[in-house]
Amino acid sequence: MAAEQLTAPADPGPFRFAPEHTALLVIDMQRDFVEPGGFGETLGNDVSLLRAVIPPLQKVLAASRAAGITVIHTREGHRPDLTDCPPAKLHRGNPTLRIGDSGPKGRILIRGEYGHDIIDELAPCAGEVIIDKPGKGSFYATDLHKLLAVAGITSLVVTGVTTEVCVHTTVREANDRGYECLVLSDCVGSYFPEFQQAGLAMIAAQGGIFGWVAPSAAYLHALTNGAEQQ
Amino acid sequence: MTRTLARLAAIGPVAADPYPWPYDGTVTSDRVALICIDWQVDFCGPGGYVDRMGYDIGLTRAGLPGAARMLAHARTTGMLVIHTREGHCPDLSDLPANKRWRSARIGAEIGGPSPQGRILVRGEPGWEIVPEVAPLPGEVLIDKPGKGAFYATGLDLVLRTKGITHLALTGITTDVCVHTTMREANDRGYECLILSDCTGATELGNHTAALRMVTMQGGVFGCVATCEAVIAATAGPTDGG
Repeated sequence: MAAEQLTAPADPGPFRFAPEHTALLVIDMQRDFVEPGGFGETLGNDVSLLRAVIPPLQKVLAASRAAGITVIHTREGHRPDLTDCPPAKLHRGNPTLRIGDSGPKGRILIRGEYGHDIIDELAPCAGEVIIDKPGKGSFYATDLHKLLAVAGITSLVVTGVTTEVCVHTTVREANDRGYECLVLSDCVGSYFPEFQQAGLAMIAAQGGIFGWVAPSAAYLHALTNGAEQQ
Repeated sequence: MTRTLARLAAIGPVAADPYPWPYDGTVTSDRVALICIDWQVDFCGPGGYVDRMGYDIGLTRAGLPGAARMLAHARTTGMLVIHTREGHCPDLSDLPANKRWRSARIGAEIGGPSPQGRILVRGEPGWEIVPEVAPLPGEVLIDKPGKGAFYATGLDLVLRTKGITHLALTGITTDVCVHTTMREANDRGYECLILSDCTGATELGNHTAALRMVTMQGGVFGCVATCEAVIAATAGPTDGG
């Protein structure tokens, strides 16, 4: 029996996906990036721009779980001894806090620290996969590609932060690997409104060179309609 | 290609945004690779893929003089020179279905005919690198099926085998293949510099935004500089040894 096929209106054209072959990717919704008093804020960023994605993302997460869609969370971070942190990443620039330093929510970007974990509002459920990644992309130096292949996943619904950095890098990696990516415009966030807009525009440019873009309502509507048809 | 000690130059600090490049002050040219990304007829020549999609190839050719200048500089200072080409096998067995579908939808189907041969197919005229920045014998060619030069290629192995730690990037297009490659390289620990006057995009706004994205958060993917700044910050090649 062929997999159920759903359609969400998107830019640059309709995004078709089969729930059983689709995963929801929630990228780096970590306390240090999103919460007041975290690492992101100490760098001078306005975290409210990122926090705006939490309410729509909560709905998307709940609806995806209800529809049986695979949910995968990612976290950027390094080993406590920093052996997996490239020197260029560690020493670049002149920030007040560097990776591994003690920050307001524990050591910055170190696995196991409070600030490194995912915010309570979007906490993973038991059995959901968490990918710990040392870089911006979710594929490099992780087992995400293998895990998706084993699960028969061919489409990704992409959410999280930040739009132009980790979300974009991950979508680019996924696209080169043949995955179809739908980026939910109100469920991805940037500290910079200019890059939120440019980042989304780049995905859908040239006939959708990296994938598709749609508001979460379009995805939720497709899921609901699919359920009604059954 | 033999790169001897006698030809080494020292590069840095380069006047770059947002910090003087590289992060570790100065690097010898034997640890630097110039990656020339996708200077192919299909992306910047008449009748090629980008032209067929209806974009202005004047925009994708804009960085070509700078890229040629940087290429000459890399050769005389003993950097490793690498050229990449995006393209697919003639039977299209390495072409993801969605990539083919999208290219057809925009009127330039990969594998389909064009005045420059089959679009983005290896061995076709449109897939060749334009003469202004043509590879010399002995320079490394990386054929890639995607936007990133690391995925499904031997690039990382070549760089590590040659002891390369720092990358300078020219090529097209800024927001697509150059950015994807820079992001991949950055995650792999390479210290990257994108050359603003040696790149170009199908839309000027995307070119500008892509360059600015690099400079945020203290240089989240590395730095941006002009080829003139790199040349000015190069000492040597030395005559010692």
